[in-house]
Amino acid sequence: MYASLLFLISICAGFLGALLGIGGGIIVVPALTILFGVNIRYAIAASLISIIATSSGAAASFLRDHLTNLRLAVLLELGTVAGAMVGFLISSQISTAWLYITFGGFLLFSGVMMLRRKGDAVSTVDHPWSERLRLAGQFMNEKGQLIQYKVERVPLGLFMMFFAGVLSALLGIGSGIFKVLAMDGAMKIPMKISSATSNFMIGVTATASAGAFLLRGDIRPEVTCPVSLGIIVGSWIGARVMPRLPAQTIKKVFVVMLTVVAFQMLYRGFTHE
Amino acid sequence: MNEIQRLELRIAKFLRIGVIVAGLLMLAGFVLNFQLRGNPFFNFETYDRIPLADLLAHHWAHRRWGQLVSYAGLGALISLPLIRVLLTAVLFLRQRDYLMAILAGLVLAGLAVSFTLGFEL
Repeated sequence: MYASLLFLISICAGFLGALLGIGGGIIVVPALTILFGVNIRYAIAASLISIIATSSGAAASFLRDHLTNLRLAVLLELGTVAGAMVGFLISSQISTAWLYITFGGFLLFSGVMMLRRKGDAVSTVDHPWSERLRLAGQFMNEKGQLIQYKVERVPLGLFMMFFAGVLSALLGIGSGIFKVLAMDGAMKIPMKISSATSNFMIGVTATASAGAFLLRGDIRPEVTCPVSLGIIVGSWIGARVMPRLPAQTIKKVFVVMLTVVAFQMLYRGFTHE
Repeated sequence: MNEIQRLELRIAKFLRIGVIVAGLLMLAGFVLNFQLRGNPFFNFETYDRIPLADLLAHHWAHRRWGQLVSYAGLGALISLPLIRVLLTAVLFLRQRDYLMAILAGLVLAGLAVSFTLGFEL
């Protein structure tokens, strides 16, 4: 009965995740801890598995559509994997109370980021590393025009990816918001390419810590299977109905919900013994 | 379609099939583990660090097939990005792009090292 309920909630999480372009972790971790009383460490581990499932499915589509910059993804994965290792080590030492507080803070930040206007600058300047590794690329926009882009500030992007990896392992999230911020904000890569490349990388980032969590015994099938299956089903439905739903209105309602949940997580952190 | 695009499509196909196989294994485990009564999450309110090897040995001894099948699904899912990185390295090697192949190899090595962090020392 409880497992069925978790499965249904995870379908909703996957659906909203696909609709709003966010990972399910933002919804799954608070749902598991607040609604089902699951310890946040098991919730984080379960969330990482669901991220791998959705990212692998999404990566397949983006590769097929030729939106993923494979060369850039490989370079930046070096940063996220190193960050995930550090994040896993921090998560082993950090108290449960601080996990709640960090997660609450992250939810508030995500809410702000979701309301931000997304820029779509196309850089014409190539960083020397980008030239050496041939990271620049091209894509077809909605009007059918071929857009060529270059990649700026590669070391800064790589550094930001390291922090995205730390947060992914620490909080059981895909860190897509930070990855897109690094690529779109710092490296001036067009949003379409940033989103596709970020989605492609999320699975590898999550795997870096999920493998360690699995071997340590934190990933339990009773919690993880209903969550992952629900998110796979939900995101599949979400991706298909996305064009027909008012995503902007849903996003505003979701940000309000996110803020309430953020304060609940912070409260739990500050009152946790 | 050039060779890179063909290989990219092959990786995409592999990922799609992999998610389906892992999902089916987890679904089988979920159905086998399913219990109508009681709260299966009650045991997870407090955190107990029990290594995977001990958990698997326990489930094997008690013939808990649902758990074992679920772990097989979880293992399959986690191995997908690993194989994806390996295929990417192969793709760059076939293009004779050795610098990118080394970078992909480093990502793979990083993933292998990160897995070992899960072992209790």
